[in-house]
Amino acid sequence: MISENDAAARRASDPVTQEPILEAEHLKKSYGGRPALRDLSFTLAPGRILGFLGPNGAGKTTSIRILTTILEPDEGHFAIAGISSRYPERIRARIGVLPESQGYPKEMTGIDYLVYFGQHYGWTSSEARQIGWALLEVVGLQHRARSLIGSYSRGMRQRLGIARALVNDPAVVFLDEPTLGLDPRGQQELLALIRRIARERGAAVILCSHLLSEIESVCDDVVILSVGQVVARGSVTEVIGQARGNGVRIQVPLSAVAEAEQVLEALPDVIRVVPKGQGSGWIQVELLDGAPEDNTANNAVLEALIQATIPILTFEAEGSRLQEVFLQLTEEAIR
Amino acid sequence: MSEAAIAHRGRMDRAGSWRLVLARELADLWLGGKALVLLTLFSILLGVTAYLMATNNELRLIPIKEIAYLMLKLTVAFGIFMSLIIGADSISGERERGTLEGLLLTPTSRRQIVIGKFLAALSPWPPAFVIAIPLIAVLCRDSQVVSWALLWGGILGTILVVGVTGLAMLVSFWSSSNRTSIAVSLIIYLVFLLPTQFPGQAQTGAFGDLLQKWNPLEASNVFLAKAIVNNRSVEEMASWLLAPILFAVLTLGLLFLYASPGLRLEPGRARTRANWGRAASFASIAWLPITLALSFAMTLPTAAATSSESPVQIAVDREWATARTGDEVEFTTLVTNAGSETSPPLIVAMNIINLQGEVVDPEDWSPQRTQSIEPLAAGASIEHTWTIDAILKGDYMVYMVVVPQPAGPESTSVPVASSGIHLTVTPFTRINPRGVLPLAVGIPLGLTASTALLRWRRRRAIAAGEGEA
Repeated sequence: MISENDAAARRASDPVTQEPILEAEHLKKSYGGRPALRDLSFTLAPGRILGFLGPNGAGKTTSIRILTTILEPDEGHFAIAGISSRYPERIRARIGVLPESQGYPKEMTGIDYLVYFGQHYGWTSSEARQIGWALLEVVGLQHRARSLIGSYSRGMRQRLGIARALVNDPAVVFLDEPTLGLDPRGQQELLALIRRIARERGAAVILCSHLLSEIESVCDDVVILSVGQVVARGSVTEVIGQARGNGVRIQVPLSAVAEAEQVLEALPDVIRVVPKGQGSGWIQVELLDGAPEDNTANNAVLEALIQATIPILTFEAEGSRLQEVFLQLTEEAIR
Repeated sequence: MSEAAIAHRGRMDRAGSWRLVLARELADLWLGGKALVLLTLFSILLGVTAYLMATNNELRLIPIKEIAYLMLKLTVAFGIFMSLIIGADSISGERERGTLEGLLLTPTSRRQIVIGKFLAALSPWPPAFVIAIPLIAVLCRDSQVVSWALLWGGILGTILVVGVTGLAMLVSFWSSSNRTSIAVSLIIYLVFLLPTQFPGQAQTGAFGDLLQKWNPLEASNVFLAKAIVNNRSVEEMASWLLAPILFAVLTLGLLFLYASPGLRLEPGRARTRANWGRAASFASIAWLPITLALSFAMTLPTAAATSSESPVQIAVDREWATARTGDEVEFTTLVTNAGSETSPPLIVAMNIINLQGEVVDPEDWSPQRTQSIEPLAAGASIEHTWTIDAILKGDYMVYMVVVPQPAGPESTSVPVASSGIHLTVTPFTRINPRGVLPLAVGIPLGLTASTALLRWRRRRAIAAGEGEA
């Protein structure tokens, strides 16, 4: 299981100092005159995990398909491991991909599936088999290697798909919604696996997901797309810092909501107090504008509640989570 | 693996990657059971047909040559049907199942992928043909037509299956769903079949002839019918081979040179740097006029000369013959110029009439109904050998007529008839139901058992997999 502390520590200790393994410059793509991707530029260093975010229709899948050579960009250029996008077959030899809607042949066993794809990358049958077994162990499927894929659960298929994406020891791994349809335990296991891939293999990973908490917990960098353009780019910490933090959310016992409202409305820095989520005990407190680093107003809110002996169940500063940044930035882009 | 190592391996193996795709597709098609199910259906259909032909009172009267033709026609038709189904599924089916993207993400070239899939889609045809061989051989036992019929059935069937597989894959290439692909392929197949359903008159004459000649399916049928049933020579019927050959060449050209390099996840073709597009478009447009022009060229009538009349005599070397249906009866004619001058060119014609008054089509009875003779010198003779295929039981009179060419449009000549050959044909006894039945039942049973065995193994494998879990 990966904790957010681990991710934060890793982000702090892994500054982007290496040569980028992936460089994308001004990628653009339209479908029948409708722009799907307006201008995508970013770089990614080896061993880093990049979260690729965006609401539906933002251009995530188009971006991934361009970078994996399934689609040709209308404009722009990219290079992976120093190979120009003009050589798609050579690029395909250096990337591993788990597409969002990957299908699997039900009549094949897991090991045969990996051997088949291994051979497509030039391995002999015995080499591919050796690699296949090693990868099945990495993804925890070694006990089901000889079972038909038709008998695999969704989580097992996703793990097999990741093993397939690693069969050529790729420089960059693209994972499009890898945790889709998995239960919470399956999600956590898969995220841990992705983390190991980046750490132990030194591969750069691009992770597409709608689950912002998982991006926040495992990613070093993030690119947020909205209506085909980049609205935020940088390390996760930097992107979270871009959001305006001018409020707090507090959860108190239901019986104490009215009293808490009275106490907080009396504070000089408070603009408005709004109870949220009927019967949940949540209160949103809007504060006067100030620097994001200035926590004086937050402290005053806490102090007032403690002095009034109102139990505080949860206290969150707004704009401290990727989800809020995402919603704020994508809404702005749509407007 | 380093980039250099991968690049090296890529270069080393790129040319053979189609084998990987082929092996995978074959496993999917055969171990998955789809091909076996189709072949089982085919063997049941062919087995029932063969058994009926051997035992049914009406069907058993069909001449052996026609039986061979009908069985081959059925085999080729089913081969085409299988090609359509498998070819139409080959790309759009993978799109629908989500397995195409994984393949497109490998360094294997698009063309190699299409080659592998194409060869796999052809794979059910040889076994289908092999299934037909023993049934045709037993039904047409002792007939010399079997090897000839199988040779041309095999050649034409292969050409058509190649063309239809290519066509179905092209449709699959541009289809958004598997259902669309199969439906469109079947509609195209019906369009090819449509001219054969026109009224008889529309199929005869210059227009009908052309309509049949540029239709690859109909042209193949006509070729097989004439070559097997009517004893026409290959040279005589060569023009009917053009449409199927051109059809196969053009669909293969379109598939491999134009479409396959642009294979992509969405229906249709991606832009490629190659300039095959215009060439392929030209070829597809040019197909019809080229076929028509060549058909015209090959059907130009040959000039004939005319001259005056002269007294001639014709004699046959037998008075009577008995045969069983399916037998061949040979006899010889001797044409003599009994006059004092050289005769005009002569035509010798064979006639056959049923003594019970039933209609007889002499075309069906002999490959050489007429033979031409150059002018005969006075007192000279010429001998010809004739063959009659005893195709229906009954009493017949065969007689020969020699006709001197008239001198001109306003003159005539006197045909001279030979004495008759009384031909008695006894009922058809060559088809041995005891020989057909084991094959008609055994082949479908064997295929069903194979399919059941595969399914059982799959269920066991799944159960074992679930047990391990």
